[in-house]
Amino acid sequence: MDILTYLQEAGALYGPSGHERETADWLAVRFRPLCDEVVVDPLMNVLATRKPTAPTAKGGRAPKILLCAHMDEIALIVTEILRDGSLRMGNIGGVDPRILPAATVTVHCRPAGGEPATLTGVVGAKAPHLLTEEERKQNYKREDLFIDLGLPAEKVKALVNVGDPVTLVGPAVGLLGGRAAGKTMDDRACIGVMLEAAQRLAAMRHAAEITFACTTQEEVGCRGAKVAAHTVNPDLAIILDVSHAPIPASRPDTTVPLDAPAATYGPYIQHQLFSRLRDTAAKHGVTLNMEHAERSTGTDTDAVQIAREGVPCVLIDLPLKYMHTTVELLDTNALRECGRLVAHFAAEIDEGWDDALWS
Amino acid sequence: MELKTLCETQGLPGREEKVRAMVREACEQALGKDAVSLDGLGSVIAVRRGSDPTRPRVLLAAHMDEVGLMIVSATEEGLLRFRPLGGVDARVLVSKRVRVGYDQADKPSLPGVIGAMAIHQQTAEDRKAVLPVEQLYIDIGARDKAEAERVAPAGTPVTFDAPCVPFGDGLVLAKALDDRVGVYNLLRLLDAPYAGDLVFAFTCQEEGGCRGAGTAARRAQPEIALILECTTANDLGDMPEALQVCRVGQGVCVSFMDNTSIGNAELYRAMLALGRDRGIPCQVKTFVAGGNDAGEIQRAGVGCRTLALSVPCRNIHSAAGVCSLSDIRAQEDLVRAWLAGR
Repeated sequence: MDILTYLQEAGALYGPSGHERETADWLAVRFRPLCDEVVVDPLMNVLATRKPTAPTAKGGRAPKILLCAHMDEIALIVTEILRDGSLRMGNIGGVDPRILPAATVTVHCRPAGGEPATLTGVVGAKAPHLLTEEERKQNYKREDLFIDLGLPAEKVKALVNVGDPVTLVGPAVGLLGGRAAGKTMDDRACIGVMLEAAQRLAAMRHAAEITFACTTQEEVGCRGAKVAAHTVNPDLAIILDVSHAPIPASRPDTTVPLDAPAATYGPYIQHQLFSRLRDTAAKHGVTLNMEHAERSTGTDTDAVQIAREGVPCVLIDLPLKYMHTTVELLDTNALRECGRLVAHFAAEIDEGWDDALWS
Repeated sequence: MELKTLCETQGLPGREEKVRAMVREACEQALGKDAVSLDGLGSVIAVRRGSDPTRPRVLLAAHMDEVGLMIVSATEEGLLRFRPLGGVDARVLVSKRVRVGYDQADKPSLPGVIGAMAIHQQTAEDRKAVLPVEQLYIDIGARDKAEAERVAPAGTPVTFDAPCVPFGDGLVLAKALDDRVGVYNLLRLLDAPYAGDLVFAFTCQEEGGCRGAGTAARRAQPEIALILECTTANDLGDMPEALQVCRVGQGVCVSFMDNTSIGNAELYRAMLALGRDRGIPCQVKTFVAGGNDAGEIQRAGVGCRTLALSVPCRNIHSAAGVCSLSDIRAQEDLVRAWLAGR
């Protein structure tokens, strides 16, 4: 898989939380050749399953593994159409207002009786030299900003409705040394990890049944994963999400290096499974850094761990700089290594995997 | 020449070479090699001799440079520190893409991004405070200081990475509209009917201190100068009328006064009357703010009468400027009509 091409295509899909159909359909097509069964559930989760390709060690039941990465993206939503035709906006998920001034956006509208359409917009703010000294020291708040569609007010009112989602624009671009930057690396890059792992597993033997779940509505509280985990009913789960790589302003113990995968430890993570993951990484020469989460991980893990009667989880992190901006930056080699680690870890889960789980 | 080509060309203050080459060639083709010269700062001066010495010598001026950034150093982690060239509000830089270096035939510029701390990791204080330029940097993916310094040494110019595209109804979305719209119209006016001497100055270094206009004007020695510019429009977001400055789509903006010059009162009145008579959309700049080359030109050498005619631009000095094609056209039409009537 050419990772940059994948990131460019996946990043361009329309999929704010709660509006993932287009992204789900595209991902289902990508997983189909690598899996035995692909279904899209009522929350638009894509559940792609590989049946076991090897018998279990003692001929018993095959363990069921759930892998999760979320497909939804943070976005904006139209909350008001002003007299002059500009739009006020709210958030879908955690959009930092600092990234918005002079940003290009896409308004997804569905005019009454008309076809769905997209409009390009630009985020404007009061011009800097008209601000007072005090105002100039503060960031624009979201309510100070507006979207300009370049259209007369009557035309805007005919096309746009309150509630129309607005996505950010930030096509992925390749940088030096195999790095890449763009929007929605969080978390479609980790779906890329799953595709990478699925491709490797297709050439390996595995005793477990493996379901790749591309989940929805993570950015508004891990809602899709809750349903996906219930439906799949796994024995164990591997969650894939992005985490923070260091930048000059980073505070101590809040980041992991950009150029290798990391794994999270803490109460939401099953500690024996975590040790097993580290052993797998060591065995296959994958650099795996450590990251802590003293409580909520802020990922699908939070929902999957307590699905049904409880699911032992590990959380693998793909480090990223500038999360929730349109220039989320990652190392494509780390992405590939993540895929390699996930494939080995899943392939080596066999009957008896949980013998020492609670010791 | 296409506005798209002009806007997408890279040209920072003091580093206008790419725009200069295009402008110079166009002027030489239109007026002959001998008519075109460069002043000591690299501004392009093109002189069209008139047949009637009783007519005033007129200068039409627009600046070639655009706001942007300049690399000053690299961090140990391989990130590029920069300083703005011209007035760039640090708030429009976060989460934007840039081109590091100028595109060369054998070596394209490098893509870079300006990131900032993730919202998850910000404190309440972080959220309020504007990130100053000293705390921003460009990430090109370099692994360490040595690699960063090798590919983007101090002094490397950086421009916004934004294509020039049609926008909304009859608008254009681009970087560098300030002042490539003026350059575009100046090139279109090379053939404007006028019997007196007509001088075209494509000036350098307007952004960050109007450095290039005075030297060009002293070579041009005009009696009257019209400055073709771009100015802030602050007309959306339910802005009180008093703060709007001017409105996109309402015509070329005529300035009675800004922070660098007071427009010649007779020219100001004549231009508005001409617009009215000919049905060329004009509006008055209603807020005294900003400045441009008119100040330096007015007071260059023995001095001259000046007036700035500006195309309104939203989000000026950012990667996402917005101008109206009809306003751009009105700027040209008004100058052309005025020249024909002198």
